[in-house]
Amino acid sequence: MQELKELVFRLCKAGGTPGDESAAAAAAAQKFPGCAETHTDALGNLLAVMGDPKSKNHILLDAHLDQIGLVVTRIEKNGFLRADRCGGTDQRILPGTAVTVCGKEELHGIVCCMPPHLTGGDRDKVPAPDKMAVDIGLSREEAEKRVQPGDRILFRTEPKSLLGTRITAPGLDDRSSVAALIRCAQLLTEKPPRCRVTFLCSTREEVGGQGAVTGAYGADPSQAIAVDVGFAAQPGVEPEKCGKLGGGPMIGYAPVLNRGISEKLVLLAEKSKMPYKRDVMGEDTGTNSDDIAATRSGVPTGLVSIPLRYMHTPAEVVDLQDVENTARLLAAYIREAE
Amino acid sequence: MADWNLLEKLCTARGISGREDEIRALILKEIKSCADEIKITPLGNIVAFKAGKQHPNTKLMISAHMDEVGLIVTHVTDEGLLKFETVGGIDRRILPGKSVTVEDGISGVIGVKPIHLLEKDQISKSVPLKDLYIDIGASSREEAESCVKPGDMVTFDSYFDRQGGMIMSKALDDRAGCALLIGMMKAQLKYDTVFVFAVQEEIGLKGARTAAFSVAPQAAIVVESTTAADVPGVEEDRQVCRLGKGPVISFMDKGTIYDREYYQLAFQAAEKAGVPCQAKQAVAGGNDAAAIHVSRAGVRTAAVSLPCRYLHAPFGMIAQEDYCSAGQLLIQYAEMIEERNAT
Repeated sequence: MQELKELVFRLCKAGGTPGDESAAAAAAAQKFPGCAETHTDALGNLLAVMGDPKSKNHILLDAHLDQIGLVVTRIEKNGFLRADRCGGTDQRILPGTAVTVCGKEELHGIVCCMPPHLTGGDRDKVPAPDKMAVDIGLSREEAEKRVQPGDRILFRTEPKSLLGTRITAPGLDDRSSVAALIRCAQLLTEKPPRCRVTFLCSTREEVGGQGAVTGAYGADPSQAIAVDVGFAAQPGVEPEKCGKLGGGPMIGYAPVLNRGISEKLVLLAEKSKMPYKRDVMGEDTGTNSDDIAATRSGVPTGLVSIPLRYMHTPAEVVDLQDVENTARLLAAYIREAE
Repeated sequence: MADWNLLEKLCTARGISGREDEIRALILKEIKSCADEIKITPLGNIVAFKAGKQHPNTKLMISAHMDEVGLIVTHVTDEGLLKFETVGGIDRRILPGKSVTVEDGISGVIGVKPIHLLEKDQISKSVPLKDLYIDIGASSREEAESCVKPGDMVTFDSYFDRQGGMIMSKALDDRAGCALLIGMMKAQLKYDTVFVFAVQEEIGLKGARTAAFSVAPQAAIVVESTTAADVPGVEEDRQVCRLGKGPVISFMDKGTIYDREYYQLAFQAAEKAGVPCQAKQAVAGGNDAAAIHVSRAGVRTAAVSLPCRYLHAPFGMIAQEDYCSAGQLLIQYAEMIEERNAT
């Protein structure tokens, strides 16, 4: 578990907001074992291929590389940065948060919070991200030498171990799934699969999933499983709408998902005696599986989610046991399919 | 040159109001070789006497507080989550998503409901304190209670950075004041001076009140950090003070009307020391002066503050230049208070 934790932390430390995932892609590329080739495509997707390249049975496993953050829109005359969301950032976590501005060099910054004497009666409201500012403590002149509009801003929170096998880090959505893909590749390395497997670490999921659209088109698989994070039980979240930390992978059932794949995943989870949860959605899944299933003339697609708390905040929490079980489930699926 | 390593050590030390053990031990270690006498009062204040070259006519006390704002665990839920209250004036909007440390190094985060599951009108609403909790990764009450109990202290995780002439850190309020006092104590002073490192400022000035009683000074300078609202969206007349414009001198705040002569003397001291200083341009906030100036039969009191952005949040920001200027100003000011009274 220690090794898996180090992998997840390493992936989380390499930042990557939508459209700017190259650092995260490089960190992931270094870690894919037993893959004959890894390459990136026009939209920055990282693809790693394993098994028999001629096999008609071609399984695509997808996890997205990007994480939510902010993007610099303007530099104020006093050197403060104006920014907006890059992905679905929760504005309620912004005031007073430490950030890293990825300019020509990495700069430390603080998201301005309201001075106490000015907050009188309006403590109920949190301003929209584009009404806030990021303070890097530089004059406009100094700021402009280092930062330009379009530069990305990441949350600066160290990954930490919590009790047991639980961990917290910004970007666990979806680096924990990228880690599960890498761990799955590790499990398959000893005896390369007879089918063909493409691991797709896709870009831009948080702004619409453009990476998965083009990545799946390019890979042209015969079937696919998307791996993402799902809501874990926490106060305020209805139990029927979520999984549970330590409760094992959430296996998706939805109109767009291939029922055969879902059933097979459940069967394999039961066979290996790992905990799991049927994660039933009546509409879109809100993950890359929606797009992957509709690629070219259609791809039978499944969805596995790792339970995660506090999604889209710097305080995301997962249980490493669930990451490990997700990797084992994916590896078992590939062994079964080959 | 300022001792930034010392400031880093002081800011990084953990100690909310009433739990100042770690920061007190650190300060004692720093001052033991330069103080002539050190006393710890019953509430935990450090009172340190430093002999100068001469005995003054006016007994001067210079005070800064050791405690920082934070949280305190009140309850462990069945799910193993920690409910908490704030210790000191914290705007609840800075809490969601923050990384914290509980008591002896248990890591935690402050969780909120995912944005995806919010009703539309909740997205821009701050989360009430009663809906916030700390997640330490426990899966049950038993697991949480094996390492955390009600009453445990919680501090914000933070970094200490120097960037572009600024310092960003937690607890600059008022560890920066403590560092300035230690800096003074390490210098050769002209007159005997009593230095106080006070506890419990953030929850009602209990430390300074009792320290002032036991010291019984005739004059006092409170060294603090004060709100700088020089940020976008705040009109100039509401900014209170500005980073980089020098230490801040108060004429009045919510707790104190400062000694008028001392107020004016501070500007003369700055001029003599060759450093900038600025008036606090608002009647806002308050500090230990409120307790000190009414101690016993009254104490003539002044406040010298560092302009600090994002006070009472996990990260504040001060200008290195202001810190250095405050150090020079304080030495000059202390001497002038004595000499003014002597003539």
